[in-house]
Amino acid sequence: MVAETAEQTAKTRSRKRYKRGSSKAYLFLFPTFLVLFVFVYYPIIESFRLSRNRVAPFGGQEIGVGFENYTRLLQNSDFWDTVKVSLWFMVGTVPIGIGLAVIIALLLSYPLKRLNWFYRTLIFLPVVISSAIAGVLFRLLYNPVVGFFNYWLGLIGIDGPNWLADRSWALVAVTIAVVWRQLGFNVIIALAGIQNIDSQLYEAAKIDGAGTFARIRYITLPQLSPTLFFLAIINVIISLQAFGEINILTDGGPGRATTNLVYQVFVDGFVGTHFLGRASAQAFLLAVMVVAISFIQFRGLGKRVHYQ
Amino acid sequence: MTTEAITQVQTAPAQHRKRRNWGDGPVHVVLLVIGLIIALPVVIAFFMSFTPLREILSQGAAPEILPNTWTMENYDKAWTASPFPRYMLNSIIQTGVITIAQVVFSVLAGFAFAMFEFRGKNALFALVIGSLIIPFELTFIPNFVLISDLGWANTYAGLTVPFLASAFGVFMMRQFFLTIPRDLYDAAKIDGASDWYYLWRIMVPLSKGAISAFTIFAFLSAWNQFLWPLVITNEESMRTAQIGIRFFLVNQERATDWGAIMAGTVIVMVPTLIIFLFAQKQLVKGIAASGLKG
Repeated sequence: MVAETAEQTAKTRSRKRYKRGSSKAYLFLFPTFLVLFVFVYYPIIESFRLSRNRVAPFGGQEIGVGFENYTRLLQNSDFWDTVKVSLWFMVGTVPIGIGLAVIIALLLSYPLKRLNWFYRTLIFLPVVISSAIAGVLFRLLYNPVVGFFNYWLGLIGIDGPNWLADRSWALVAVTIAVVWRQLGFNVIIALAGIQNIDSQLYEAAKIDGAGTFARIRYITLPQLSPTLFFLAIINVIISLQAFGEINILTDGGPGRATTNLVYQVFVDGFVGTHFLGRASAQAFLLAVMVVAISFIQFRGLGKRVHYQ
Repeated sequence: MTTEAITQVQTAPAQHRKRRNWGDGPVHVVLLVIGLIIALPVVIAFFMSFTPLREILSQGAAPEILPNTWTMENYDKAWTASPFPRYMLNSIIQTGVITIAQVVFSVLAGFAFAMFEFRGKNALFALVIGSLIIPFELTFIPNFVLISDLGWANTYAGLTVPFLASAFGVFMMRQFFLTIPRDLYDAAKIDGASDWYYLWRIMVPLSKGAISAFTIFAFLSAWNQFLWPLVITNEESMRTAQIGIRFFLVNQERATDWGAIMAGTVIVMVPTLIIFLFAQKQLVKGIAASGLKG
């Protein structure tokens, strides 16, 4: 033992450990990688294979059809409608969700002497709410008979729409529910980002005579840009994958007004007959869309992000 | 105790200098209004779950938030008119198994990545990180096929096995373990401690904060799962609470029994609300970690 410690220079040390830890390391990693390989990596390959088959309902026979599922989808206007719903939904949720979160986080970063914990508890609350529960809560609020939204709108003289049954309002209704559910998470991330900013920068600005809004404009927001960038990426991904609220609030309707790509994958693959080939092809196109938009964000926004 | 703990985190370093000329009044008012608006859907659900159905319906187009008379009949109905006890049991089993497995496996793998040198270490770690960016829609159809072929649809195995490991957990544990001085490991080795002993008796107790933050994160994600339990169960007796409330809504809405629906909603939310109120510090830490390092 003593001799071993004595000869432990940096290099022999790592070589020794390499020998000693090697097989043990694989044992420690085994459970995690077993699950990752079977349920994450293998399914990617399998998903692509399925998408090039016509799969008989209930997992029976598979007929190879090459890229027919894809070419059919791309020529189908229903498919493009679901893409449009996904994109409109993204445009509706992401900027509003992040904008609100930043404003609220700025307010929360104000050094109040008391009640700080109380406001944070109220504002962080949606972070523990599931998409299913958010769907149920907003289904009550939108309800035309016992719901609260239209009652409140009525109090200020607005005749509210029939939110979930009106083609032009259903997507707005789902958007509000998802922005709400996502708000707790976004505020927590934005607040953590604000609190990570070096306070010396504010001191310097104070000496230079900068006012509140100047400090926000020239210090907080630029310093916060990596956080905003992260929020933009995550929120785009989350919005493109929105499912629970749609399932409970509108079931993709009225008509197909709130059927986004994920919802169509669900309908094709799991409602009634299982068209798993077509569902897989759409899932693949959706994944491509998610990756492509993230990539565009990295190229476009990434350059403007200010890192310390 | 808890309140103290919460206050402590929450008044953590605030960076803006004080603007005494305005006073704090306006900020209090604005934050209170925003806070109430955000919490309102949950508050409404809570009070409506204690409101008699007659009252809800008679108020009609002018709904009130507070009940005039309080009742437990909605909870009776939610608990007995549908298999809610069973839904909750299923969710507890599903969430418990997933959470325990994710925490234990993440600690093991995080330890290996932090402390051992071995062939393929970088490649394997890249595989862990890579799996974080794979959208679930790429995996859930083949997983559905696989689980169905195994005969695991409508079983606890089907609900849990695909989620027994967490790439995020491995990453978080590794990052934290790397902050613990290596000398401690070397010293323990000299004293003859095995890796196993060192991990569970020294490393884990030192990492309580990070581990509990991840535990809460894992619990919430598992409890709140929706799409997977929806497609992998079609028997009522195997539904989780989230799926149960969805079908309960569909049934009771026809009867416009919103009191019972809200009672069911509160039942499903209770475990997550308890965590939110009593472990907010760890919860916020876990979420902030996903943002700052992700």
